[in-house]
Amino acid sequence: MDYFEPKTITEALSVLAKYGEHANVIAGGTDVMVDMKYKEEPGCLVNIKKIPGLDTIQENGASLQIGPLVTIRDIETSRLVRERLPLLWESCHQFASLQIRNTATINGNIYRASPSGETLAPLLALEAKAKLAFRDGEKTEAFSSFFQGPGKTSLGSKGLLTEIEIPYPPKGSHGVYLKHAVRGAMDIAMVGVAVLITADAGNSSLQDVRIALGAVAPTPIRATKTEALLRGRSLTAALVKEAATLAASESSPITDQRSSAEYRGWIVEALTRRGLEQSWKAASGKEVV
Amino acid sequence: MAKVEHTVVGTSPARMGGVERVIGAGIYGIDLALKDELHGGILRSQYAHAKIMSIDTSEAKKVPGVHAVVTAADAPDVRYGRTYIDRYMLAKNKVRYMGDPVAAVAAESPALVKQALKKIKVVYEPLPVVLDPEETMKPEAPTLHEDMPLPKNLPADVKVKNVCSYTPVHAGDPDKAMAEADIVVDEVYETKMIHPQYLELRIAAARVEPDGRITVWANAQAPFSVRTDVARLLGIPLNKVRILSTELGGGFGGKASGITSGAAIEPICALLAVKAKRPVMIVLDKAEETISTTIRSGAKMYIKTGVKKDGTIVARTGKVIYDAGAYSGFGAMAGARCTNMLGGWYLMPNVHIDGYVVYTNKHVCGPVRGPGGPQAAFAVESHMDSIAAKLGMDPVEFRLKNTPKPGDKIVGVPKLRDVSLGETIRTAAEQIGWGKVKLEKNQGVGIATGSWIESAGPGGGAVVKVNEDGSVTVHIGKIDMGTAPGFGIPLIAAEELGIPVSDVTVVKVDTDASPWDAGTVGSRAMLVSGTATRLAAIDARNQLFKLAATQLEASPDDLEIKDKQIRVKGTPSKSVSLASVATAAHNVIGEVIGRGYFDNVAMVAEEKARGSSQPFTTHACIVEVSPDTGNVKILKYVAVHDIGFPIHLASVEGQIEGATAMSIGQALCEQVVFDNNGRTMNPSFVDYLMPTINMMPRIETTLVDGYPGSGPYGAKGAGEIACVPPMAAIANAIYNATGVRIRTLPLSPENVFRALREAGRRKSKHCEE
Amino acid sequence: MSLTINLTVNGNSQSATAEPSTSLLDFLRDTLNYKGTKLCCNTGECGACTIIYNGKPINSCVTLAADANGVEIVTIEGLADGDKLHPVQQAFIDTGAVQCGYCTPGYIISVKVLLDRTKEPTPEDIEEAVSGNICRCTGYTKIVDAIQLAADRMAGRS
Repeated sequence: MDYFEPKTITEALSVLAKYGEHANVIAGGTDVMVDMKYKEEPGCLVNIKKIPGLDTIQENGASLQIGPLVTIRDIETSRLVRERLPLLWESCHQFASLQIRNTATINGNIYRASPSGETLAPLLALEAKAKLAFRDGEKTEAFSSFFQGPGKTSLGSKGLLTEIEIPYPPKGSHGVYLKHAVRGAMDIAMVGVAVLITADAGNSSLQDVRIALGAVAPTPIRATKTEALLRGRSLTAALVKEAATLAASESSPITDQRSSAEYRGWIVEALTRRGLEQSWKAASGKEVV
Repeated sequence: MAKVEHTVVGTSPARMGGVERVIGAGIYGIDLALKDELHGGILRSQYAHAKIMSIDTSEAKKVPGVHAVVTAADAPDVRYGRTYIDRYMLAKNKVRYMGDPVAAVAAESPALVKQALKKIKVVYEPLPVVLDPEETMKPEAPTLHEDMPLPKNLPADVKVKNVCSYTPVHAGDPDKAMAEADIVVDEVYETKMIHPQYLELRIAAARVEPDGRITVWANAQAPFSVRTDVARLLGIPLNKVRILSTELGGGFGGKASGITSGAAIEPICALLAVKAKRPVMIVLDKAEETISTTIRSGAKMYIKTGVKKDGTIVARTGKVIYDAGAYSGFGAMAGARCTNMLGGWYLMPNVHIDGYVVYTNKHVCGPVRGPGGPQAAFAVESHMDSIAAKLGMDPVEFRLKNTPKPGDKIVGVPKLRDVSLGETIRTAAEQIGWGKVKLEKNQGVGIATGSWIESAGPGGGAVVKVNEDGSVTVHIGKIDMGTAPGFGIPLIAAEELGIPVSDVTVVKVDTDASPWDAGTVGSRAMLVSGTATRLAAIDARNQLFKLAATQLEASPDDLEIKDKQIRVKGTPSKSVSLASVATAAHNVIGEVIGRGYFDNVAMVAEEKARGSSQPFTTHACIVEVSPDTGNVKILKYVAVHDIGFPIHLASVEGQIEGATAMSIGQALCEQVVFDNNGRTMNPSFVDYLMPTINMMPRIETTLVDGYPGSGPYGAKGAGEIACVPPMAAIANAIYNATGVRIRTLPLSPENVFRALREAGRRKSKHCEE
Repeated sequence: MSLTINLTVNGNSQSATAEPSTSLLDFLRDTLNYKGTKLCCNTGECGACTIIYNGKPINSCVTLAADANGVEIVTIEGLADGDKLHPVQQAFIDTGAVQCGYCTPGYIISVKVLLDRTKEPTPEDIEEAVSGNICRCTGYTKIVDAIQLAADRMAGRS
């Protein structure tokens, strides 16, 4: 197995161009090393941790820029993230274990593009954007189109993620990220639901709503029909129930060793309902009736 | 139980070997490194059931750095097993589960081993796979073992196949009694396969010595069984094989190979060492463990009970279908225990239960912590609550009503000497706040009892050698995996010899030097090795007194040892140091060597005469169920036990807490999951979910006074019994919270949610259907 | 292809070579002969391989040895001061929280980091620190006791 520790993005892109599908990018290593032990070693391992400037969190006007090499733990302990992007904070707080959070990077979670990747539904709900670098140039892409299938992203085999940009949600927004798992520690999400609502000035209806679902489709998805159903309306128990059912119908979960598709659908309902109720309570101080 | 004055037994000093463990000393099997060693690896079957048409190892042998490639053809045509001798160490002619070893390689590095294994060409002819023992029992099922007979005691009119053991539990006239019962409850319960998941990976290392003997290092619970198997399977004399035990990082019955016809990697490793002419070490990896090593079997249990209106149980009938897996392994013993225990440990005048242990194309049953017991208790104790519900009777009262008294018999135990069951029920009920505790919505309280017989088994010996400074070494045939040899055994030697615990060393097992023993299994460490150690220490003490008597001008009967001084009772000034007497032995008999043994035949006779005093337990818990996801959280958990006398208190509590946690895991999140081809789908900890600290309640242990057991100082075995009640306690609490009875494990969020949904859909009352 | 790794382990400078794919766990155990850090699940799911890496507890089984270049590592072997055990080590012994002992080094490392950070850990702090550590023997009850006792002793409350 060949091994590189590129010192610049250009150098890294050059290696990736040469090796293509035979190269694995490694950041924290918590995913890649498990693969290496249980599958074949890749032809080439590209360790990007020596590239400077990719490990910072900084504010840029009304958005937060997170470098790909920022660890999940650093996101979790960032006051800015906790205050301004609680959805992302929550997903990092529930991520694996402390030991894993200390080395796993958000790059890895995104690169892996596992349907159940913990941070992915929040990134969609927050309408975050990815900055991608290729040999022939850079581009910025919304995460909503970045994920193309399990393990498949716009990066292909030759691109590098260089920045994650997350606009702060509109003032007065409230949201939650809810993860369903068996143990409450170290679990991979069986279902993840991120809900973000913006109440209108009078706290009577939903000016905007975003619902992102994780682990229940080939990629993380937005429940756009459910959002359309809710936008502009006042939340009632009946509407929340209807929205939850609709959200479940927008998902396409599979049956695997963790869970059946049917059960995942029921949990989408349950967590969408809870997410809307909790977000509404946080926004308006009122229960949904 | 009467309180006796002891010096050190009954306390909780630091465990022997505690310092090594907290500083990370390299004491475990996996830490071993032999000079000049090769790495070994095993090729396992890719089919759950197939004929082996051919194995071509020629390409693998050509890989530079590969020193040996072996298959069944390289070993004698000898099989092993506990009840049925049905298993080759490397599969011959057939493979019967994915995980069956087919070939093995010794090479210079793990990478080369991997390379060579890939180059071994095995041609299989797949056969139909059977995973459900109830299906495999049917006469039309595929045959898994062509040359294994049906059990001799199987009634002639029973038409089954693939059954390797049959246990009838028949007494009284259950048909008549059932017909006369006021209420009958008829249910089916099912548990699933779990893996013991000790943290330290299993290893074997083997070296052929210059004199031709083979030394095998093993992190095995039963070193002498390993010796037997290595000798038999390689076709070499027993005294040419020496097993050296390492420390174990957990075992739980899963590292008891030899006893179980389980993984048996030690003979494979020895064979590689012989062929390679160099030492070989095999280290399994976690996925390989989950896929191939011994497990706790799933069981399907039909249970029907008739009761009178006043709650008196009059009859029980039932059937146990116990999943042995691909080979008989420990299946017969575990299945028999499950079948007996399905009769419960309450008064049961009329009973007819048939237990069948059935081959399937899955992992092999091992003696995993309380084999057969937790499964039976899940059925029995859930069923007790179902009956109580139908009677409209309080579950605690219902159990107390049917609790036996001294002199009574229960299924499997002809006569009880003492019965602490009632005491444990009452104590647990009080501690959990039964009938009193204020429960919130979706919360419930549940109770479940249990019993366990220290497994009937062989005797065992101990030797205590007294060094010239008065310290001692204790030689027993049991290993320490966090169990008695590191905790209570040193206390016993210290107690009887009047020396500090730190002056006692319990020596690791060396089959050349240690007394033969069945190993650390069956909750017998204290009973067997504890008794033997006590008697050996007393024997040593008597010899010391005899040596000291002349010098002290006293009779040996008038002497005592205290604080390393041998002195005349009542005249402490007349004393001589223990060290000087031990040294003086050199000129007389060489050395004071005390010998003791546990006489199993005598104990069985005594139990027969006086009755059995076995451990009883009751557990109780409060749970909270989340109705929209099915998640179950345990809010409070109490474990009440009669352990007779706890020799090392913290160790006994630790065994209870650990065994409870293991069954909580089986209740809530553990299961080996298969696809239709028999492939394990969750081999690693990513998806084999072990209970984590956040989901475990504080396990509040209470030891009731209870009654003395057959162990030293009245101890009873403590290693397994706490595994018995938890699954039912939790299921009963879920029933109390939701009105829904769940009869299949695990009580995972999905299974609980489905059950709630099903019940809601059918809009049923709080009732067993 | 061999890489040279220069690192500090328990205050001692070490230098050795490793293949690029070698995990830090295997490097510590097999190359540098620190057997105290244990191998179990090898997938970052049990915490038996926990070490301190530049001050943070990590799973060494899913970390490259190559990433230890220039790093300060503390393993279980670095905690005792000669014959004097670290308070966390002593507390684990004293409460009976050591049964087979295989999970123990990983726990002690995680707990040491926690108690260096806070003198009065809350239940949430404890859960965060060790919910990535599995124990199969104790059922966790005595481990919680050990953590509490160590905290009390280190803060002078006991």
